[in-house]
Amino acid sequence: MSTRPPKVVVSEVSVTFESHGRSVLALDRISLQAHAGEFLCIVGPSGSGKSTLLRVVAGLLRQSAGAVRIEADRPGTPLTAMVFQEHALLPWRTVRDNVTFGLENRGVPRAERDARAREMLAMVGLTRFARHYPHQLSGGMKQRVGIARALANDPEVLLMDEPLAALDAQTRTIMQEELLRIWATLGKTVVYVTHSLEEALLLGDRIVLLGSPAYGALLEKIWSQLREEVVRAMAEDRRGERA
Amino acid sequence: MAVLLPTALLVLWEICSRFAVVPPRYFPPPTTVGWVLVDRVVAGDLGAQSLVTLARLGSAFAIAALPGVLLGLLMGVARPLRDAVEPYIAFIFPVPKITLLPFLLIILGVGEPAFVLTGATSAFFQIVISTLGGVQTMDPRLLEVGRNYGARGARLFWKIILPAALPSIFTGLRLGLGLALVALVAVEFIAAKSGLGHLVYRHWQMLSTPEMYAAFALVGALGLLLTRGLRALQARVLAWQEEVGSL
Amino acid sequence: MRALGRWLTEHWIAVGSPLLLLVAWEWASATGLLREAFFPRPSTIAAHLRQLAADGTLWGHTAMTLIRIGWAFALAAVLGVSVGLAMGLWRRLRDGLDPVFAVIYPIPSVLFLPFVSFLVPPGEIALVVTTAVTSFFLIAFTTTQGVRQIDRLVVEAAVHYGARGWRLFATVLIVVVAVEIVAASRGLGALLWLSWQILKIEDMYATFFVIAFLGALLSYGLAAFRARLLPWIQDVAEP
Repeated sequence: MSTRPPKVVVSEVSVTFESHGRSVLALDRISLQAHAGEFLCIVGPSGSGKSTLLRVVAGLLRQSAGAVRIEADRPGTPLTAMVFQEHALLPWRTVRDNVTFGLENRGVPRAERDARAREMLAMVGLTRFARHYPHQLSGGMKQRVGIARALANDPEVLLMDEPLAALDAQTRTIMQEELLRIWATLGKTVVYVTHSLEEALLLGDRIVLLGSPAYGALLEKIWSQLREEVVRAMAEDRRGERA
Repeated sequence: MAVLLPTALLVLWEICSRFAVVPPRYFPPPTTVGWVLVDRVVAGDLGAQSLVTLARLGSAFAIAALPGVLLGLLMGVARPLRDAVEPYIAFIFPVPKITLLPFLLIILGVGEPAFVLTGATSAFFQIVISTLGGVQTMDPRLLEVGRNYGARGARLFWKIILPAALPSIFTGLRLGLGLALVALVAVEFIAAKSGLGHLVYRHWQMLSTPEMYAAFALVGALGLLLTRGLRALQARVLAWQEEVGSL
Repeated sequence: MRALGRWLTEHWIAVGSPLLLLVAWEWASATGLLREAFFPRPSTIAAHLRQLAADGTLWGHTAMTLIRIGWAFALAAVLGVSVGLAMGLWRRLRDGLDPVFAVIYPIPSVLFLPFVSFLVPPGEIALVVTTAVTSFFLIAFTTTQGVRQIDRLVVEAAVHYGARGWRLFATVLIVVVAVEIVAASRGLGALLWLSWQILKIEDMYATFFVIAFLGALLSYGLAAFRARLLPWIQDVAEP
């Protein structure tokens, strides 16, 4: 159990979309918390509103009800930085200028910006590509730039919206390891949205399931099956030892 | 093949003309046209008249470009403005701007302003529509990136919206230039006393067909050069854009 | 009815501003702010339009225009589609004709009048043929694009589309038709006023609005028609 203080507190958040006179309830009184330094995964099928929730936390979307609070330990640093699915890099900027984008907007002087960019690019292993343009990079590399961009901003909370979904399986596996490594090094609070339970199990300290009751029931079933297997395996191990 | 077929056609034409399969009066052999072309461009009126047409094109484009891009951008970011103006644009855009010519001739008299303005309006609507399209079809997540990373209001506009719309703006300018040229040459043919379009007309009336074809070919060549040239320029300047459209 | 009401409230600016403009124009002309000789009042224009309609001139000319468009289009379509098809299917032909098209493309339709006059007696036929020429090039080009798109689709999903090959073909044809009626009317509009005797300025404005209205009607009508019938096909080509 975590004794770390809550970093992100979502209370009873609802989001309703209006479209052509019809209302669609995308989120219905969701409450959850992410603790400091924790890797929280939010899992749900498409349409469950997980991306919407993330955007509310990022301040990109206004909730219709409820509140989101982010504990700011360091005033002056941005609350959140988001890593988008399919990188969403600015194609007209070089890799380096993409990474420093947030810093630029905050008026950080050039020298410092460049230093941070070098640091971040080194962390994601893309030092050689600082002067390249996004269209010259592969999918995995582009996403690493996306991560570098988010990290360069030194946010209180790192938000990730299915960042690896658009990558092929091998690249994804590599990137998952990278992410864990970076997270372990920096100790940031991460809120990670994904539709893959497997990925959530791999990456997350804690998992929040978002979705219909049927979906929840399905996941519970998978989870209890997994647990049974683990228990059985452990029992066999013990029997093996005694014998 | 791109060289072969047109050459073959020209050879065919040459033969038909020389052997009077088609009346050479009306369809002079390409070699004659070629001679006239070279001769007249260097030493005669073809060169000068081309410059006249180009000058009009330059003015028309200069008038249309900046206001067009500006209006397109403003319409893109300000919903009420777009709602107010869009019906006019949509209404007038499909109308061949040359129909405006009679009005302009009456109001402004027969002269350069009327000609240039016809060309300018042809370009203007295209530029507005392309620019607006550029803003509207930009990747909305880029806007999210902007806002999440601290760019709001004016900064969002300059750093995200404008660059994202730039490819479409460029395309619009390119197409607009082409349209302006078409309109201008047509205007010259009908109403002017100078310029390439007028030359075609004059030589038609005088039945000096080699000169007519020469002027005609020059119009086509000019248009081609401009559009291809601009397309190459666009590919250069916007090197980060993956693909430039055809045409 | 409620849908209409809702649409109006959403689009009140779009509806209101042209009305406002007309009112302002009427007032400005009447009070002499705008020279009435150059900018006759909308009411006068409307009256003229009504008169033209009443004495048959309007219908006469409109009918003539439409007939011309019809002929020009038919001519251009038959030739254009054939050439376009050929170009779409045979790479070498396309490579060969591309430069020809590229040079012809920037030339305004009026400029073809001399050629046409060499081949055909002056008058109605000449006008129709001239319009047909530009339309021909546009149709051929669009058809080429359309055929190439089909090619790609067929290759990508051969089994699935095999049976529907003809349907796709017909679909593309409809799209091309839609584009080209608009293009043909465009070309004709340019020639239309050439052939008219000089009119009173109110008549000119009236003509302009009729052309614009016809053009808009055709464009929107066909766009809607196309969207209805072929929602699944992306824009085949842009002229």
